[in-house]
Amino acid sequence: MSLERKDDHDHGGWMKSRELSPVERGYLTVLIWLDKRLRLVDYLEILEDLYYKANLQMPKSHTEQYNLDNKFWYWYPLYALGSFSTIAYVVAAISGALLGFYYSPSTAAAGAEGSATVAYASIDFIMTELNFGFLLRSLHRWSAQVMVAAVFLHMLRVYFTGAYKEPRELNWILGIVLISLTMVFGYSGYILTWDQLAFWAGQIGVEMSLSIPLAGEWVAQLLFGGFSLSQSTLQRFYILHVFFLPFITTTLIAIHIGIVWMQGIAEPH
Amino acid sequence: MAPSDETDEEVRADGTGIVPPDDETPTWGERKARSQGLSRLTYEYFERSRREDQDLRMESSYVERDVLGFPTWPHEMIRNLAITSFFVGMMIFLAATLPPHIGAPANPSQTPAVILPDWYLYWSFGLLKLGPLNPDLAILGGQKLMADRTYGVLANLVVVGFIAIVPFLNKGSARRPVEQPFWAAVGVFGVVFSITIAALSVKNLVPMDPHLLFDLTFLLPPVAGFIAYAVLRTMREGYMFELNRRYYRLRPPK
Ligand code: HEM
Repeated sequence: MSLERKDDHDHGGWMKSRELSPVERGYLTVLIWLDKRLRLVDYLEILEDLYYKANLQMPKSHTEQYNLDNKFWYWYPLYALGSFSTIAYVVAAISGALLGFYYSPSTAAAGAEGSATVAYASIDFIMTELNFGFLLRSLHRWSAQVMVAAVFLHMLRVYFTGAYKEPRELNWILGIVLISLTMVFGYSGYILTWDQLAFWAGQIGVEMSLSIPLAGEWVAQLLFGGFSLSQSTLQRFYILHVFFLPFITTTLIAIHIGIVWMQGIAEPH
Repeated sequence: MAPSDETDEEVRADGTGIVPPDDETPTWGERKARSQGLSRLTYEYFERSRREDQDLRMESSYVERDVLGFPTWPHEMIRNLAITSFFVGMMIFLAATLPPHIGAPANPSQTPAVILPDWYLYWSFGLLKLGPLNPDLAILGGQKLMADRTYGVLANLVVVGFIAIVPFLNKGSARRPVEQPFWAAVGVFGVVFSITIAALSVKNLVPMDPHLLFDLTFLLPPVAGFIAYAVLRTMREGYMFELNRRYYRLRPPK
């Protein structure tokens, strides 16, 4: 095998020999440049393969083949609940990122006169002074609520259509992890406002973790940064809410939907 | 491959030269076949699984629908866009009409009368209030085996753990609730219980005698489950006849 380029690998010459529009030429140049370095072609093949398997080579479905009771598909809208959870998650992520520009997780006293903290005051600022701030917070709140509701209902849909059975057990368990993460997301966000309800809900959280057998004190210190609520509690929940949870949840949702892609939607029989 | 014009090129012996594959060079398939231990097992299994796929494809009477599906663009994309805009619009509408509230600032020295998490955690909060069900043992002199709070936390773990192992408890090919009235009834029990236990967690806000509420919390779910079971059992006869005729006779369940 000589290292000299063979003619049929002369992509530049091949491009010149064709009549290409500027767009096509630009596209090909970038593609070839990247492909020489990253061997994109291998990955494109995988994607193409996935696409054809998923979209064009589907076998006839059970319902089609056996002319099954098509009344089942009256329930079809419920199959959108998973997508609905994803959409709500994306809306919450965008509005949350914008809120993050203005929120600061600090329990220092905001002013000399009152007992409000900087965290509380920054939310107050968002709601009363920031243009569209109230709408932003409202949107974040509602998309979070809607996501939780959609995830619960999605789980019920999966349960009552028996969609968790072989081969989808793993996705069910992944779903349990996801619904738990969703609720921890909600809980950690609830703490961030640092108003009375948030503070005392946090207090209950500390007590709950303390009553976990054996690992209780350790868990309380890890999550709440101590046995009573303080600056470190707020800071930890902030980092949990805007750093760890988004990364973990986004990855798991991608895997969850990837598995659905590979296995297909469970059909009624 | 043209070996003739390469013979006079100097062959480097320092290990950096690229050695051309000849007839003796094993292919990747052969290399894998020659491997040992776990990688050998992996290879053997993959080969089997590939053959199984192939066989199933050969004997399948499924119709390969080559281009019969809806095109992704524009059909699927426009549908998805429409659904997404509708959902996002709904959220914006909710956000605009029902803006959230923020309470008084945190005050560690003043416990509010009502402490609540968000609604979706009520069920978990309710499970923390199962103190009255925490068994006390006569041997311990009426002492409880564990603190009420520990009991509540464990109750949470048990509930979530049970839901997680459902796929390993209920197997088989049945999918519709009518095919398995029992498991559908378990589901209805669970849904109703999650609602009643949530109501229990906010018992100070429910205009009802707390004892009655506590009893109803554990009474309503089995009743609802039982009704669901009865209804589905009744429906099953007619339904399964159709289903058997259409489906199971053609594709008997394993
Ligand atoms: C963050 C939360 C979640 C997201 C974003 C999500 C997303 C999705 C999506 C988009 C689908 C495709 C089918 C459909 O939309 O119905 C799906 C299917 C599925 N989900 Fe989820 N899901 C979530 C939580 C859960 C939970 C809590 C469970 C159950 C415990 C679960 C179990 C499943 C299973 C078993 C399937 C396959 C169903 C089938 O093939 O018919 N998921 N999920």
